[in-house]
Amino acid sequence: MSTGASIATPGGTGWQPRVAAMGPVLLVIGWELAARLLTDAHVLAAPSAILLYLYENAGLMSRALGVTLTNAAVGFVLGNTAAIALAALVAIWPASERTVRGFALLIFCLPLVATGPILRVIFGPGPWPQIVLAALAVYYTTFVPLLVGLRALPSNWLDLVSSYGRGRLAALVHVRARAAIPYLVAGLQISAPAAFLGAMVGEFTGAERGMGVLTIRAMRGMNVEMTWALALVATAVSVGWYVAIGAVAKRFLEDEPPVILAAPNSETSGGGWRRTVVQLVFVSLMVLIAWWGFLKVLGLNPFFAKGPLDVIQAVTTASDAATNRDTLLTALAETSVYLVPGYIAGLTVGAMLAMLVVMVPMIAGTALPVAIALRSVPIITTAPLIVLLLGRGAAGTIVLVAVMVFFPTFVACLHGLKQAPGRITDVFDVFAAGPLQKLVRIRIPAMLPALFAAAKINVPASVLAVTVVEWLATGNGLGSVMALSASLSDYDMLWSAVALVAILSVLGYGAVGLLERRVLGIYAPEQLK
Amino acid sequence: MSVPVTCTAASKTYPGGLTAVSPVNISLAPGATTALVGPSGCGKSTLLRMIAGLEEPSTGTITIDGLPPSEISRRGDLSIAFQDPSLLPWRSVRKNIELALDLARRPKVTQDIDELIQLVGLDGFADTKPAELSGGMRQRAAIARALATKPALLLLDEPFGAVDELTRQQLAEDLPAIWEAGDTTTLLVTHSVSEAVMLSDRILVLSPRPATIAADIKIDLPRPRRSEFARLPEFSAHVDEVFAFLSQGVPGSRAKAAQ
Ligand SMILES: Nc1ncnc2c1ncn2[C@@H]1O[C@H](COP(=O)(O)OP(=O)(O)OP(=O)(O)O)[C@@H](O)[C@H]1O
Ligand SMILES: [Mg+2]
Repeated sequence: MSTGASIATPGGTGWQPRVAAMGPVLLVIGWELAARLLTDAHVLAAPSAILLYLYENAGLMSRALGVTLTNAAVGFVLGNTAAIALAALVAIWPASERTVRGFALLIFCLPLVATGPILRVIFGPGPWPQIVLAALAVYYTTFVPLLVGLRALPSNWLDLVSSYGRGRLAALVHVRARAAIPYLVAGLQISAPAAFLGAMVGEFTGAERGMGVLTIRAMRGMNVEMTWALALVATAVSVGWYVAIGAVAKRFLEDEPPVILAAPNSETSGGGWRRTVVQLVFVSLMVLIAWWGFLKVLGLNPFFAKGPLDVIQAVTTASDAATNRDTLLTALAETSVYLVPGYIAGLTVGAMLAMLVVMVPMIAGTALPVAIALRSVPIITTAPLIVLLLGRGAAGTIVLVAVMVFFPTFVACLHGLKQAPGRITDVFDVFAAGPLQKLVRIRIPAMLPALFAAAKINVPASVLAVTVVEWLATGNGLGSVMALSASLSDYDMLWSAVALVAILSVLGYGAVGLLERRVLGIYAPEQLK
Repeated sequence: MSVPVTCTAASKTYPGGLTAVSPVNISLAPGATTALVGPSGCGKSTLLRMIAGLEEPSTGTITIDGLPPSEISRRGDLSIAFQDPSLLPWRSVRKNIELALDLARRPKVTQDIDELIQLVGLDGFADTKPAELSGGMRQRAAIARALATKPALLLLDEPFGAVDELTRQQLAEDLPAIWEAGDTTTLLVTHSVSEAVMLSDRILVLSPRPATIAADIKIDLPRPRRSEFARLPEFSAHVDEVFAFLSQGVPGSRAKAAQ
């Protein structure tokens, strides 16, 4: 960072780099002071206290870290392998795209908090629930960039393959696969913290060892140092993992990994409303069949393995259907109260801050790399901290959701803003347009697609955030219903909650997509190809 | 082995409704070299891509050796060099050439590849990535890639577009030997009339878009051709003839400017 600043001001006085280096030092000092002043509040642990805790409990922490890291790594490999396989399938067989993407999105929308307990009863006490959750947390964020990457190539390269009479498989093997590697790296980088987070959430659901188990213990025992230490370690490991992937990629690739969050427009898209509806119905049917088949094939005990029919009965014809519906709707209302403001605040602040940053060229240069690196912070693992800081009320939950939404939005918007075509900005320079005018006329339209991409991917992410906090701390809303029904073995309710959340997330994602088409159609039609 | 090519009332209208090629009848004799010349945007590349089987003709049919182009492609007997070199940036010149051999399921003979690289004047650059080559060098690498499979039908889209005049002459003198030796049917698009005369047995002059065949000129200069031929009176006569047809239907100034 300091080198970036010194490059930005050649021949400058040299105070900038020194300030940049001083920043973190001042931060730590301020933190230490604040913590010492607030010792009675039991919210902030001083850096010295955290270090002391880590030193004294090095054995415990490193054992827990080892367990979680192993699970995360296995999940990372499995989830990313699945992502690569899915993307390859779409590349070889484009007709499958809509179905594969629909499935992938739906599975991504499963609330990890409830999937965890279900996996727990399926797999028992071992590491597999954590591993599967880690895999579930990562595959989508790799799948989406890969889809983009497998297509981001000149059509002549593909024509070359066809001119030798070879098909899609050869195109994949000889051309697309290599062309997609920078995109794969981008996906893998984002999935590193996600894997760690997935593993920790899995451990919340009754594992015996690991960072997640310690986190729960720290929260229950109101152990401030331990909570902070765990969050710090989780963050440091995730950032390290993220940076390591980038460093390895840099050694082997000339090209920088791209910053992409957007799902590509479907190659087979178009065909209007009717076709979309038909496809939606088709994918939904496939999902129901897959759900039912999954339970049948595994031969799971119907006591805890509920199929689509059980869930429908539980909220329609069962004797307790009315209570079930009530519980779910009440919880849904409670959750929305946190979710919607947090989501909107995160998007707004992310977009606004990105706009502010590009208007101040001095920080614009360093802001993007820093923001990209910040994406590697597993926000959920800091949930206990935010609860410590802001309490178990609405504020804490809303802030957490907002923070969760903020980072990807900020990065995407900043990236989008920087994409404003240079030529056009030059033309505006000639007419001496001010930075504000440039922002309104060129940059915001250029930012919109990125903003919407972030808004879409943040629907499931914010649901994850809100349910985790409800589950760990606040004790109401859908997260708590899931936790409660898991501990009471009310599997009808648990599966119903999973289905409800997944459906609503997918609908939310779709609604943002529709809004995107509307808005882009008006403000940036050229982005809609 | 060489193959005849037949286009029967083949035309191309792009999905947007733009007609690039009106129905044309073309038949290319096996082993002959034919040049396509015509104003920019008239549909030359489109015609080439249809013959390569990369675009379906909107009407009419195209056969190569009596078969649809896809059959010839499948045998690995067809090569096309695109207007832009389209080299894979992560592969060196040699690896790009090997890719063609892999795709065509031909054996990779190191010595043959080396010879080819030398022939296009890239010796010393076999292991260089495209990004470190000049535009003209990239084009030569793409030509080498197209030639590597010893195709029965060779389609070249402005193969010497970004090459300087001297290298261009050199290539025009050296390369035909390769496809003539292999008895290859060759169709090349070029913007240089004298190059068309120098290289080909026959020149098809295309009209402005939508392309129709404005003239079909036989070039009966002896082979092998040498650069001194350019000073022969027959040569200039052919050049003038092609220009005369090119300027029909095109604003006169343009044809003159091209001269
Ligand atoms: N994929 C496509 N979709 C729609 N129109 C196209 C497509 N490819 C080419 N065209 C149009 O077809 C016409 C002919 O294009 P083509 O590339 O065949 O010209 P050309 O003769 O090769 O030109 P040049 O000498 O400049 O290379 C042009 O007007 C072009 O805009
Ligand atoms: Mg062309």
